[in-house]
This record gives sequence, structure tokens and C-alpha cells, in this order.
Amino acid sequence: MESLDEVIDAMIADRVIHRHRRIWLLLIALIVAAALVVLATGGWKEKKGRVVPTMEAPATVTAGRFEFNFTKAEIVRKPKTDYSAAETTLKVYFTAKNIDSEEHTSDSVQNSLLVFVPGKGEDLVDSNGGDCHDGLNWQLVYGLPPEECSTKFKVAPDFAADMVEIGVFEEHYEADNGALGLSEQPYWQRETPAAVVRLKPTVVVDDGKDG
Amino acid sequence: MKLYRPATILVGLLFVLLGGVTRLAGPDHVFGEDQNLKVEHGTIGEALPYAGSGSTMKVTRIKFAKSIIQADASDDDKPFETNGVFVAVEWDAVRGVKDPDSFTPTLITDGGSVYTKVSDPSESRIDFPDAGFASTGSVVFEANPADLKGLTLRLKPSMLFNVYNSEIRVDLGVPTEAIAQQMVDGAVDQYVINDDVTRVAS
Repeated sequence: MESLDEVIDAMIADRVIHRHRRIWLLLIALIVAAALVVLATGGWKEKKGRVVPTMEAPATVTAGRFEFNFTKAEIVRKPKTDYSAAETTLKVYFTAKNIDSEEHTSDSVQNSLLVFVPGKGEDLVDSNGGDCHDGLNWQLVYGLPPEECSTKFKVAPDFAADMVEIGVFEEHYEADNGALGLSEQPYWQRETPAAVVRLKPTVVVDDGKDG
Repeated sequence: MKLYRPATILVGLLFVLLGGVTRLAGPDHVFGEDQNLKVEHGTIGEALPYAGSGSTMKVTRIKFAKSIIQADASDDDKPFETNGVFVAVEWDAVRGVKDPDSFTPTLITDGGSVYTKVSDPSESRIDFPDAGFASTGSVVFEANPADLKGLTLRLKPSMLFNVYNSEIRVDLGVPTEAIAQQMVDGAVDQYVINDDVTRVAS
């Protein structure tokens, strides 16, 4: 059984909503219009451009768990054969050293830590991971000297450039927010850009023959 | 006027449940100090029970090496070299009926280093076979010769939920720096990693 109070409440609510209906509709329309304007003018976020340092190779970058030393870059062209289409990859050589003094743990260079920056507003290209010792995603040991490594980026078959930019990301040794009930023990997380390294690539043709 | 409508109570309940869910999620992120892991200690040659699954893991021997290569290497495959030292751990696993949790093998030392297994070649692995079978194989770790004291193989189960579980720790018999140095000096030039071999559990 509905009480008289509830009936009156419902009636008042009904009136209030109807009285200001036009204002409500206008307000919603305004918000939608404002959102469209913001979207059309390039989003809410302020464009700041590059905030990390840009270096010329050879350059040493200390980024989170690793210390990289970029040496050279190659544009490797695989000509078209009877069985496969022409392919081009961008190969970047560097040395990597594990400097994880927090956890002393072996780790490999993840593919998202090194990216190719094509520029002109194009999306970043992830690498295929650190290839050291001819072993992909080789686990670098803390305390050992730097290892010779390389990584590859997929680029268009007709890719050509005088200078390429490689972005380096770093992880941070941080804890989660304890207020959420999570452990406050820190661990490596949250990748942020650390630096951009400029290299002058040489063109190499890989026709599948040795020497 | 009703103070607590069903919706109000439901929202309250939701918050309580959310609090509980955080505790369940990501064990590593909730228990920092591994309080939910019972440790099964053992030495080389001892079959240790794994996580109450009826399966056992035994380290049969360890070998130090300067380079590693897989047994069926082709002409193109060069041996893997290291600036440190490779530690090959040969294991013998007997599988119980219950499916054991997958685990991450690491080597830990008194110095606090954590060594993970080499990513290549793929013959370097440690795993349980299918139910009713047993297998032997070897897993290789790259290590820093300066930090080998107290070398211990650790098999930590990877958990999706927070449950009470157990991990295996096998003492690999490197009690002092001097012994570590001796083992590094006596490292073989090349260690050949064989594929693991499965047999019927007797």
C-alpha cells in the first residue's frame, strides 16, 4: 500500500521535472555541443611537443632497469624473391646492461621499451625485443658487463631515411596505492619516455647469402 | 519514509565486496612478503612435493659451464657464450594425478640476486609431464660468478587467486664464496642441453 507521502513526493517530482524540462534539454544540448567543439579543435589535452631529451648517437641512456648505449642503425632490405615479397626492417644496434640495483633480477629488454618514432604524427612502432647473443629476449643478468644487442622494427618496404629516431622508455620502481588494499612493496612498473636517440642508418641488402 | 531501500543496501554490499576483491586479486600485489607461501626446503637428490598436487620435483645434479648448445644443433647454430657463467640444473619430475600449478623457476642467492632461465635455446626447460608420467631434463640459468653463495633453485607457483600455496627451494650446495669460485673455475667449456625425456612413472 502506497503511503500518502510517497504519492505527494511523486507528484512534486513530476511537476519539478516538467517545469524545468526545457532548461534541462538546453543544458544537455550545450554540453554535447561543447564536447563536439573540443573534439573538433584537437582534444582537451595541451600539445606540449617532445618533453624528453633528444640525443645524437652514440649515446648512453639510463632508463629504469637498463643502461643502453646506442651505436648504429641499419635499414635491412630483403629483395623480392619468387616466394616472398620485398621486406624492409630497421635494425638498431646497442649494448644493454642490467642496472637493477633494487631487485638484482635478470630481465630481458621488453619490446615496448624501445620504439621507432616515425615522426609527422604517426604512431610509434614497437620493437621486437632485445636480441642479445643471438637469443631473442635474452635475460640480462645484473652485475655482468654490457651485452651486444640489437632490435628490429617493422617498416614499409620502400622505407628510406637519412636519420631515424628511437624512443627509449623507462620503468619506475614504485609501489601501488596502499589505500586500495594493495601491498606497498615497490616493483618495476609504469613505463614513461626517457629519451630519444637519433641515428644515421646505413642501407644493407640481405639477399640470403652469407658473406 | 524508508531509510534503507534495497538499492542502498545493495550499493553498500557492492563496496564491501569490492574491498574483498582487491585482496583476492594479484597475489604478488597483496602479499609483498610471500606470507601465503609455505616453503619446501630440500637438497640435491631429494624428491620434494610440489604444492600439494601429488607431484614431486628432484634436482639430480648441477653443472657449471662457459657455453651452452642444444643437442640437435644445426650448422648455423652457434653455442651461446656468456660473460658470467651458466648454471645447468638437471631435474627429475614425477607427475601426480592433480594438475600442478605452473611455476616460474629462478635461482636465488644469499647476495639477493635473482637469475632467470635463459630464453634460448628452448630445450632449456623445467615442467611437469602429463599425469602418470615422469620426465627428466635440464634448465639453464645465466649467473654472475661474483654472487653465487647460497645458490638455491626456487620454484614459485604462479597464482591467479590468493590461495595458501607452497613453493620449492632446493639448496644447490654452494655454501661459501670459495666453493663458488672453485665451481666457476671448474666450469666445463660446453654444456649440451638435451631435450627432456618422458617415461612412465613407476
